[in-house]
Amino acid sequence: MSGISRRDILAAGAVGSSLVAARAFATPLDGTRMLPKRMSRSTFATAVKELQAIVGSDWVFADEESTVSYRKSFIPDLRGEHVPSGAVAPESVEEVQAILKVANKYRLPLWPISTGHNMGYGMATPASSGQMILDLKRMNRILDFDAELGTILVEPGVTYQQIHDYIAEHKLPYWIDVPTVGPIVSMVGNTLERGVGYTPYGDHFFMQCGMEVVLADGSVLKTGMGSVQNSTTWQAFKWGYGPYLDGIFTQSNFGVVTKLGMWLMPQPPVYKPFVVRYPNAEDVAKATDTIRPFRMNNLIPNGVLIMGALYQLAMFKRRTDIFNGTGAIPEELIKAEARRNGLGMWNTYFALYGTDATIAATEPILRAAFEASGGEVLTEAEMTGNPWFEHHKTLMRGGMTLEEIGLVRWWGSNGGAVAFAPVAPAKGAETAGQSALAREIMNKHGFDYAPAYAVGGRELHHIIFLMFDKGDDDSSARAETCINEMIVRFGEKGWCAYRSSVSTMDLVARQYGETNRTVNARIKHALDPNHILAPGKQGIA
Amino acid sequence: MSRHGLAHAFARVAAAAALLVAVSVASGTGALAAGQELGKVLPTRSPEKVYSSTCGYCHGHNVGPIIRGRGLPVETIEYFVRHGNGAMPAFRPTEISNTELKALAQWISQAPVDAKEHGQ
Ligand SMILES: Cc1cc2nc3c(=O)[nH]c(=O)nc-3n(C[C@H](O)[C@H](O)[C@H](O)COP(=O)(O)OP(=O)(O)OC[C@H]3O[C@@H](n4cnc5c(N)ncnc54)[C@H](O)[C@@H]3O)c2cc1C
Ligand code: HEC
Repeated sequence: MSGISRRDILAAGAVGSSLVAARAFATPLDGTRMLPKRMSRSTFATAVKELQAIVGSDWVFADEESTVSYRKSFIPDLRGEHVPSGAVAPESVEEVQAILKVANKYRLPLWPISTGHNMGYGMATPASSGQMILDLKRMNRILDFDAELGTILVEPGVTYQQIHDYIAEHKLPYWIDVPTVGPIVSMVGNTLERGVGYTPYGDHFFMQCGMEVVLADGSVLKTGMGSVQNSTTWQAFKWGYGPYLDGIFTQSNFGVVTKLGMWLMPQPPVYKPFVVRYPNAEDVAKATDTIRPFRMNNLIPNGVLIMGALYQLAMFKRRTDIFNGTGAIPEELIKAEARRNGLGMWNTYFALYGTDATIAATEPILRAAFEASGGEVLTEAEMTGNPWFEHHKTLMRGGMTLEEIGLVRWWGSNGGAVAFAPVAPAKGAETAGQSALAREIMNKHGFDYAPAYAVGGRELHHIIFLMFDKGDDDSSARAETCINEMIVRFGEKGWCAYRSSVSTMDLVARQYGETNRTVNARIKHALDPNHILAPGKQGIA
Repeated sequence: MSRHGLAHAFARVAAAAALLVAVSVASGTGALAAGQELGKVLPTRSPEKVYSSTCGYCHGHNVGPIIRGRGLPVETIEYFVRHGNGAMPAFRPTEISNTELKALAQWISQAPVDAKEHGQ
């Protein structure tokens, strides 16, 4: 929080900068930059000097003002538990190695980020205060693009926008697959979090092939075929020889990933997006059971989204546009507002890719099944111009958009959103059960349930964005309590998160069991005995 | 190097040759737009490019207010970019360099209204 409102700044006009300088530290948190635990100011200053010698003084950020953009996040942080001590931004693998040497020497904890827009999960902020952000954004080279195999090798700082532009400029016949926030986020960062997108290549880690990792001791590991002399197969074959290692560097703190290979989808001759509209909240079970067989046999090839009405409405509207009362918005109001906007209570987006002939052969099979389940099947013919349909049409072909971030200002201009994303088998009873439980808990705490289900093959990710008002401490406190209650009560039913915000990493890690935690701890100790890399990441010290 | 990489290298040589001719004949016309090359970091972008590949996805496009054509002060724009605000993430010098931000803020401050943009 900056402690300074938009109105103040705008009103300040041309003298804005002096106002900013005078008031930038207006909240108590802003005034106390957090040092690493058990590190004295002088040791920190010495470490900073050594880091400056490596990357140049422009690329070490260690005072209040220059670290401000690393502190911004959408999640609640009432007690200042996720405040970094600073940031250091290398531009090469050699600089990363040199930084790790300094970190080991002074026991300086480093929190690696690729583009640091892990929105709803903590953005660039670390699992505990005092860690220094290792910002890899300057390493933004596209290292290889194999136009025959459709593979790419990129550095952490490469955004999906850069790849999109590269493909367009060189007229390459490939599509990328993006999370809904592609332009400003990283293919490496997203894939390391095991993020998802909405084309047939939507399971990002599944489509990843080969990585380079700098370990805490400075050694450089190339996974898969990457360490074979004169290898030509690094981005073609995932598994290499012996234990498959790539997985242990995702959602982990075992190394710093400096290169990552991905497979890209050949551009199809024809692309046809669909939406299936269901009128009632209970219909999510029918939608799930209808989609599952088609995802299993691949007649529907892409990452399908079953979007709840409120998630959709929240993208383009504010809460006060729909409701001015207290407590959660009544379901009937949501339903009516959805109808007014051409939406159902659930809106299932899928697409077909191929030729006119293959699509014409598949479409009637899908139509018949969805219609039999009570859904209305619609295409561009009926939906062109509907902003939600246009949005998903963009996503299911890997296009660039940031429209979904609109939901972060649901409660007003201060913003506020934290994600809870439990997984479930793709069965109707499971989605119905999860939706009922989430709605009950969220409504109890005064929040609106704004759901999306991202259907993989046999499972789905239930993406619940808890929207709150970060400018209001009471709302932040309730958001925190609500998220924790959801994690615990979903966990009691065997439903756990596939990923979590920096504020709940330990809580979720405990649900995966003691042995699991011990194994992770042993690997951590072997690879990073000084625990300098991202302590607390996914509950690993 | 991949097949494409080679093709790209050839394209670069050709482009360089074309540029030489173009420079000598018509002082730069015909030069290729400066995109990113394989193995090289992203070159400094024009304000238009930074706007269209970051700000413009939100501002005037359903998520954020229109900011062009309002004569917003340069300092204000720079402040918002580095600090973020509500639903707007903060952008760091590693993703929008100080040089890019300076030019961007000036450009936005002076840019006319774009009729294609609409508010939130
Ligand atoms: C409205 C909204 C919609 C969203 N939609 C989606 C979506 O559809 N799909 C989706 O997957 N996400 C989605 N997100 C979440 C998030 O914004 C994206 O996942 C984003 O890609 C993550 O940020 P990033 O790419 O900048 O990764 P970063 O923030 O750079 O990285 C994330 C984390 O990974 C680790 N890490 C990153 N790089 C490295 C490295 N090089 N070495 C070691 N560890 C590293 C760190 O722990 C880091 O904190 C959404 C968020 C919002 C608010
Ligand atoms: C993810 C969406 C998003 C992106 C990307 C974004 N902004 Fe914003 N921005 C917003 C929102 C939302 C607000 C309004 C916050 C509020 O409600 O007070 C805002 C506010 C602003 C304001 C204040 C204007 C006013 O009238 O309140 C400025 C100036 C601004 N942004 C500049 C930029 C620039 C420059 C960029 C590109 C580098 C950018 N923004 C990128 C969402 C975004």
